[in-house]
Formats: sequence, structure tokens, C-alpha cells
Amino acid sequence: MNEQVYSVAFKSALTEIRRICPDINESFILMDNGNMVTLEEQNIGPNIMRALRSLQNLTENAESTCGLDDLLIDGEDGEVYVSRVNGMFFITALTKKADVTHLRTITKIVLPTLVKVLDSVSLETAPPPAPLDQPPLFQTTRLESTPAIVPELIVEEENIEETAAIEKIEEAPTQDFQEIYEAKTEEEMEPEDFQQESDLPCQQLIVDMFGGFLVRLDTVQIDSDILDRWSSKLDLKKISEVDVVTFDGKVARCKVKVIRDKKLEARGIIRIPEKLCDKLKLKKGELVKVKPVLPESE
Amino acid sequence: MPRKKIKQIGKLEKADLTSKNETKEQSSDLASILDEIKAQKGVIGYILRADTSAAVDMKDPSKIIDYAILSSSALESAEKISTAFKLGKIDSIVVECSDLKALLVAVGDHRVSVFMEKTMDHKSIYNELM
Repeated sequence: MNEQVYSVAFKSALTEIRRICPDINESFILMDNGNMVTLEEQNIGPNIMRALRSLQNLTENAESTCGLDDLLIDGEDGEVYVSRVNGMFFITALTKKADVTHLRTITKIVLPTLVKVLDSVSLETAPPPAPLDQPPLFQTTRLESTPAIVPELIVEEENIEETAAIEKIEEAPTQDFQEIYEAKTEEEMEPEDFQQESDLPCQQLIVDMFGGFLVRLDTVQIDSDILDRWSSKLDLKKISEVDVVTFDGKVARCKVKVIRDKKLEARGIIRIPEKLCDKLKLKKGELVKVKPVLPESE
Repeated sequence: MPRKKIKQIGKLEKADLTSKNETKEQSSDLASILDEIKAQKGVIGYILRADTSAAVDMKDPSKIIDYAILSSSALESAEKISTAFKLGKIDSIVVECSDLKALLVAVGDHRVSVFMEKTMDHKSIYNELM
């Protein structure tokens, strides 16, 4: 069945839901292929696009806990209810007096039923979904169906703002000691990274800062036990790089070495250079999540 | 003249100290309320964030970072959604995952995220916090 048929069906569903719940100001359906379904009179401005991108980011972050189902934002002048149904997002802006429970019940019944009916009809009418006439307004990234593209290339081509942010960080190290520093934000990480992440072991460690004249900014120190455990689990000779994930979701990719100081061994700490701590806004004693990085060839 | 100046400075310092004390009191009150909430059955834990510090208390410490990331990205997302849909100042955010729920509220200068089982009534937690 043509995707446009889905779009038309969802549009009518939005109209009907709006009739049942008159407190809806705006409503959208963000389909799992990235297409957006809206009522005709609504415009999708840049702010809404930004909001949807951040929603996508939230969805990805929620995958590590147990996946986002619903989001309700209660503001002074209204509410926004986001519901995830069959991989799609149903987004509604409501007035303050709206009955969210009622809306939730309707959404959770109407949309899955509609999807089920459309799916069954499309199975009966054999032709596969036709390509879209227009490119999708908002491209979602799906963990299951990511193309095999090198993540860095996508970052360079598509995300100029984010690249600029990395460059800023990369400028900071002094050239005297040939310090190299790489940092990746959660947003930059491509779906492939997330897919790999789920298989990677990770460890929460307590931050211990260290400084010195010849300290490399890009190298952290971890217990040899942890590195040995990871390398045996991942079947690698050596773990040479790790991702340090901070409390705020910042990610820094660093080289890793073993803690040499015997007093500091087996204490569940990660020794991070002071300058890197400053950049990541980390303090001594805070917790970070540390994950090994797989070598590119493997 | 010099005496007056000294008096003024003294007053300012006093006012500053009073506000600091109030903030401390507010913070300790909030912490005790959160401890009571955490003791309730079904509550997983909480994150209390201020401008320069954060307190975390989770029943399962291995998930602290995941919860912290969920909480910060929910706040960021809610702010952007609020701007897009002109919701004004955010009163509360409820994030529901498949088996847990998070309530995010701003109490004074603090941002509180309470994580609980999905079956729990977040409104009662909200009422306790506000």
C-alpha cells in the first residue's frame, strides 16, 4: 500500500481525535520512516523541528533504561503530550484544562488499531510501499536499519554546528606536548555506535584527577583488572581507547593506560587529567561511565 | 563617613549570609523530603541538581549514569518543546518508559528528578515536593 494512504489515514485520525478532544491545539504524527503527518492548517517551524530532534535524542537516551513510551510536559500556558505508538510519535499540544488521561486512552486505542488495519490491508494488496514524492520532513534514525556508513563522514557532511563544537575543544590543547584530544557528544554518535554500545561492557568509575607538566590530555588511567576483563570479553589483545561518559551525557574518547600507582589500584577509580576534567566539567569523586572502544578494523 | 561605609558593607554581608542560609535550609528540607519519598515502595531513587552540585540516591547504583542522562536529555528536550509550543515556564515533566517513570520538577533553584516504578502515582510525589 502506498505510504500516502497511511498519511491520509493518519490525517483523518488526527482530525477525529481533535473532534473528541477539543482541547488539542496542535497535533502531529511522526511516522517511523521520518515522515510527518499534520493537519493541513498547521505549519512546522524550525522550533518544532528542533524540538523533534531533541525528542529523538531523548528517545535514544531512554533506550539504555527501557525505551520511551510517553512524555508529558506541563507548562504554565499549556501541556504537550507525546506518545509512542508502534514506533511512531503522536505529539499533541494541549490547553491547560485538557484531560490527558482521556487523550491517552484514545491514542493508545485508535492509533494501534489504525496501524493494524492499514498493515493488514497492505498485506492483502501486494505492492510494496511506493517511494515518497517528497523527502521526509524529519529523518528519524533507526537502530535496526542503519546503513554501513563511516560515522565520522556523516558528522563532517551533515552536522556543521557539531563539528564546529568539536573543533573548539580540539583547539584547546597546547601543541608543545603534542596533546591530542577527541571528544564526541551523544548527539554526534551515529546509530551504529549505539548499536555497538549495547554489546560493549561498561563500568561506572569514580573520577580521580591528576596533573603534571608532561601529562597528556588525551589519556586516562584505569585498573588493569578492568582492562583485562574487557579485552578477554571482547577478544582483543589490548584496549587502547575508551569512551568516558559524564553525568551530563558528554562523551570524551580517550586513550587508556593502566594505573601504575599501587595505592590507587582496585579502588574503582578512573584517573583523568585535570584539563580534561575541566573540559568535561568533572570534579573529583564524581561518577562516570567508561566503555571500551572497539578498534576500527574489528 | 567611613563608619557609614563599614555599616553598609556589614548590612550587605548580612543579607548575603541570610540568603545563603535560606538556600542551605531549603536544600536540606528538600533533601529530607526526598529521603522520605525514596523510602516509599516503588520509588527507585532521585537526582537533585543545583547550579554547581548534584546529589544522587538510587537503589541500583549501577544505573546512575543512565538515569542521569535520561533526566538531563528529558530536561533539554522539554525546554525545546516548551519553546516550540509556547508552553511558558515548565511546571513538571513526566517521562514514562516501559517499566519506569520519571518525574522532573523545579523546586526553587533545584531541579529534582524522581524515578519510580511505572505503576506509581507520580501526582502524589509531585504534591509532596511542591
